[in-house]
Amino acid sequence: MKLIAGVDIGNSTTEVCIGSVEENGSLRFLSGASRMTTGTKGTLPNVLGIKAALEEAMDRIRMPLSSLSLIRLNEAAPVIGDTAMETITETIITESSMIGHNPSTPAGAGEAVGELIFLENIWKGKPGVPYIVAVESKFSYEEAAARLNQRIPELDICGLILQADEAVLVENRLSREIPIVDEVRHIRKIPEGKRAAIEVALPGTSIRMLSNPYGIATLLELTPEETRMVTPIAKSLIGKRSAVVIKTPNGNVRENVLPAGEITFNGEKNVTISIDRGADEIMDALYSAGEIRDIEGEPRTNVGNMLTRIRTGMADVSGASGADVRITDILAVDTLAPVEVSGSLAGETCMEKAVGIAAMVKTQQLPMRQIAERLSHDLHVETMVAGVEAVMASLGALTTPGTQLPIAILDMGGGSTDAALLLPDGTVRTTHQAGAGELVSMLIQTELGLESRVTAEQIKKYPMGKVESLFHMRLENGAMRFFEESIDPRYFGHVVLLAPGEMLRIEEDIPMERILEVRRDAKQKVFVRNAIRALTHVAPDHDLRKIPNVVLVGGSAEDFEIPEMLMQALAEYRIVCGRGNIRGTEGPRNAVATGLVMSYLGSRR
Amino acid sequence: MVVSKPAIIIYTSDPDPDLLREICAGIEEEGVLYQISSHEGDLDTLAYEAAAESMLGSGIGLCGQRAAMMMQRLPKGKNVFELDHPRFRACRNLGANSARAIKKMPFKPVTGESES
Repeated sequence: MKLIAGVDIGNSTTEVCIGSVEENGSLRFLSGASRMTTGTKGTLPNVLGIKAALEEAMDRIRMPLSSLSLIRLNEAAPVIGDTAMETITETIITESSMIGHNPSTPAGAGEAVGELIFLENIWKGKPGVPYIVAVESKFSYEEAAARLNQRIPELDICGLILQADEAVLVENRLSREIPIVDEVRHIRKIPEGKRAAIEVALPGTSIRMLSNPYGIATLLELTPEETRMVTPIAKSLIGKRSAVVIKTPNGNVRENVLPAGEITFNGEKNVTISIDRGADEIMDALYSAGEIRDIEGEPRTNVGNMLTRIRTGMADVSGASGADVRITDILAVDTLAPVEVSGSLAGETCMEKAVGIAAMVKTQQLPMRQIAERLSHDLHVETMVAGVEAVMASLGALTTPGTQLPIAILDMGGGSTDAALLLPDGTVRTTHQAGAGELVSMLIQTELGLESRVTAEQIKKYPMGKVESLFHMRLENGAMRFFEESIDPRYFGHVVLLAPGEMLRIEEDIPMERILEVRRDAKQKVFVRNAIRALTHVAPDHDLRKIPNVVLVGGSAEDFEIPEMLMQALAEYRIVCGRGNIRGTEGPRNAVATGLVMSYLGSRR
Repeated sequence: MVVSKPAIIIYTSDPDPDLLREICAGIEEEGVLYQISSHEGDLDTLAYEAAAESMLGSGIGLCGQRAAMMMQRLPKGKNVFELDHPRFRACRNLGANSARAIKKMPFKPVTGESES
């Protein structure tokens, strides 16, 4: 009896599988384990993670590492993926000409137009002139209300801007009902003496006048030329509960369309396309270029910088010089990113158009042989590099009950989406496509405007719920979940992610419905699209219908909704598609490691 | 028959008037009604009974310079928030939170650096 270990080094996890081979050639699987990959895939630091995973797997069957007869490493696919995001429009508002945000409790309702004046200067006010008064937080709500009440009989005070969160408190003490906007952080930046329009929406609605260019024109009496200039302001105020727009004579508001640049596909044909044509047209251009040799961006433009960044990043990782790194595939996705408006008074954001790009680089052969040498030196076990990753994965996938040849596997990892088709005659066709889990995380992060990538990763991975009382939460599918013990008040009212064993609070105040929409959308945009792209590539005659079985393997196949999404999308083509169940026990994990052990039998003959 | 209004109940025992004012301001800014009455007992009792008495299920106890916020059906002594000699800002947020508990909105921070 011989003990054989298969080791698969992936971008994020290292998986091992242990099998025993009898003299008569029968194979039994004994154990498996998975650990985080240490270091970049295909480099020497991987050895640490491999050893840990091997020890864990051997521990399970109570055998020492030294009883292994052979370790088989995968020939990792020499592709590395990376992602980048670039906004292609930009709103610049100079001279602080607007406030538009969502304070939790503004007061009053309606709109008004008046001249801006600070509370301390209100004694200078003239009767007959409408005023909008700005109040700093150094005045208490009682003092502010008292001072205003004193002047209200003689002055026309028609609106109020507060720095503190005290709109309701001031309103309750005021002798006149006027719209009040509060929580304006940088109130000192308000230009005194300028005309401004203020609007507070009725509860449950958003503002109507100031989010409409003609509404602003009506209130501030703008010329057609000026109206065109305030359009970006109106656009960025859509959906807000309260707003102030200030008329500045040479008010410089522009929406810049950044020189997004062109992208050139060097393939069988050379095709050039401008980034601002959107993701769909970029991808069409990619197809029309045929087999890609390299992809370049126009120098000194956003896309040019973006691709250069990816290229240099990859060069660092792979140790090749920048010129040797060739980008062989990209996946472009349209998105919207909330970007803080430059010159904002209360941290306003504007949804800017952006393109997210995942790129993939084919590198030189990864130094797997060095890893093998180090392992056999350290463990005194014969180690060899055996078999191409995709072939091994197909072999492993065949252990899923209910599969048969020809079989296609779809391996959706962090950096790339790989597909392989194993035909009955033993031939294998493979492809690697840019764009997978990391691009999804990036899309979630930018579209929701999240501080940290970690939160985006977690949103991608876990279902969520909203804590509605200290004893129950409403889950994203509408179901309720009750608790015996009260939930920690820190979670109250928040959207939480249901990670195994703990709840993770989302700091940002975003409705659950919105998070759900963004999450599903990002997964659709990346995974469904890439799955079809990759499978079409390996399918006989590029006809998807000629693939009978698709087995999903790899990390993203463990996701709680991606396999269902793919099943739905592929059902159209009459393909049997589902999450793999390697060896009938392992789920979608461990396909490559299992395949490596199986291939030992073949190599013996 | 005693008809109670939908309000947050505040039970006090020898309260610090400044802290009480700030707590009330916090509730008022959130647009919820409140009722103040003096009551016998320690801080936990005040908060617990205030929450039990409130039709909205949210109550506050204020005992000298110590304040606690409580929600109905939580066991006595397990106050949601508890403050000892707090700053005004913390009191304001404590009041706001008693209202937010009813509105099912996330709480404002009442302790630590980020309470402003």
